[in-house]
Amino acid sequence: MKRIAFNLMAWTIVLVTAFPLIWMVITSVKPQFELFRIPPTFWPEEITFEHYRRLLWETPFLTFMRNSLILSFSTTVLVVGVATLGAHSLVRFRYPGRERLAQLVLFTYLLPSVVLILPLYLMMVWLGVANSLLSLVIAYTSFALPYALWLLRSFMQGIPDDLESAALVDGATRMEAFFDVILPQALPGIISTSLFTFILSWNEYLYALVLVNTDSARPLTTGVMSMLVSSFNIEWSLLMAASVMMSVPLIIIFAVLQKYLTRGFGAGGVKG
Amino acid sequence: MTSKAGGPARGNPLDRRDAMLGVMLIAPCVLIFCAVIVYPLVSAVYLSLFNIFTPTLQGNFVGFKNYAELFAGEEFWRSLFNTLVWTVCTLFLQVVLGVAAALMLHQAIVFRALARSLILFPYFVSTVVAVLVWRWLFNDLYGILNHLMIWSGLLQMPLDWLGSMPNAMVSIVLVGAWKYFPFVVIAILARLQTIPDQLYEAATIDGAGAWARFTDVTLPQLKDVLMVVVLLRAIWDFKEFDLIYLMTGGGPLIATQTLPLMVYKEAFGLDAMGRATAVAVAMMSVMLVFMVLYLRRMGKEEAR
Repeated sequence: MKRIAFNLMAWTIVLVTAFPLIWMVITSVKPQFELFRIPPTFWPEEITFEHYRRLLWETPFLTFMRNSLILSFSTTVLVVGVATLGAHSLVRFRYPGRERLAQLVLFTYLLPSVVLILPLYLMMVWLGVANSLLSLVIAYTSFALPYALWLLRSFMQGIPDDLESAALVDGATRMEAFFDVILPQALPGIISTSLFTFILSWNEYLYALVLVNTDSARPLTTGVMSMLVSSFNIEWSLLMAASVMMSVPLIIIFAVLQKYLTRGFGAGGVKG
Repeated sequence: MTSKAGGPARGNPLDRRDAMLGVMLIAPCVLIFCAVIVYPLVSAVYLSLFNIFTPTLQGNFVGFKNYAELFAGEEFWRSLFNTLVWTVCTLFLQVVLGVAAALMLHQAIVFRALARSLILFPYFVSTVVAVLVWRWLFNDLYGILNHLMIWSGLLQMPLDWLGSMPNAMVSIVLVGAWKYFPFVVIAILARLQTIPDQLYEAATIDGAGAWARFTDVTLPQLKDVLMVVVLLRAIWDFKEFDLIYLMTGGGPLIATQTLPLMVYKEAFGLDAMGRATAVAVAMMSVMLVFMVLYLRRMGKEEAR
């Protein structure tokens, strides 16, 4: 009896927490006129995918989606590639200034983007790449690289030294040992770091707001918000459909790769 | 952290070659760091000494005038105050809700994996999505929140959630707590799983009730991780831009304008790039206190 009561209470709390997201999905399939019913209906009386159709074919949503995909993929590949080498160096090599560097990485990981954004904006104008996806990739490395480096470093610290030593004794060079021994061991860590970096880039808003102001280079975050601001009367069902579509990659990552995500939690790798 | 390449054998040419390789591996990171972090950081301090008109990016040196104006005016102090109110309130709610939810999810409930995913989802969803959903919930005419509250008798009249004070501040604090409490859940849940069961058994034998077990066993065990979580979240909440900017835009007037929003407004609303960087640098100086505390804490943990 006590068990059932506890379960009921727990699930009530879970559903209340998830309610805004459930409501988002419900609103996105309601016909427009049903939104303005008083009192509101909970379950839609009629399910329609009209808003999704309009979103995909009558708004620049697909352009934003393409931009976001290119942007997040490029940032992730660039950052995780560079950070894997860097983290390996921080964990397995000795040279002057290494400890200092590790501390600096942690420091930059906490740095507020509003401080960096104005000089970065000037830099992009000066380089002549303002208003392009390239400028965003460059800017995104400023938060993604410290993050990925720090996360990968903690993953790689968990790989026993003996594995590499054994390979070295067998006559492998340091780089061979890195590719044949360390990389396969670090792969789960690299995958979860990539996922988190992808999510970070996918959700970023401030840099996109400041650095890009043409629809052709806007990612989803600022693109969808510009749909809200530019419309005369706000079409909530369209915006909710956009929100659902925007969250689809996250849901996929969440469902399919939960194993890797929890590994990331274990390493303390979650960023706000 | 031992490495075969290191050690006292400084003169060994092989070791020196290894050290060279290590430096080469980290070099790309360091170069990017210098370009997108170190240079902008130094540049921000430098720019704050200039008076720059944003559209043309032309300006002249004014020394510390930006700072003097800032500290003499009311807006900076008001924004700092708002930032502190927002940070303290939302952080408090995040920690209380996060610990409670973690304790709940640590128990055996049906479909626990699904329950965890649902609780964690707000944290991973884009702030833009969170804000759109909440603005729809808060909508004064058709929002479900007003309806539910009137229907249940909590309210007599629909409430203007975002356009008046103190409602606007309460709203962003609530949405902030909803969006970020899962971070606390994740950290606490991971720690809870490592508390040995014997501690609870011993406490039960000693006659401790559920509440006593929580205050005498669980809380002391959670103390360290809570410190880290509070510091991290304090830093991140302090610099939060997206959520507040998109919920209220700092309004009504400047009632919910925090320091990051003031930076943005000075730079792109008032076209005063120099003054904006001065606000940003001042804001970072306040944050530096928390950042140093966190770095020291982490330094201690690394040493352990």
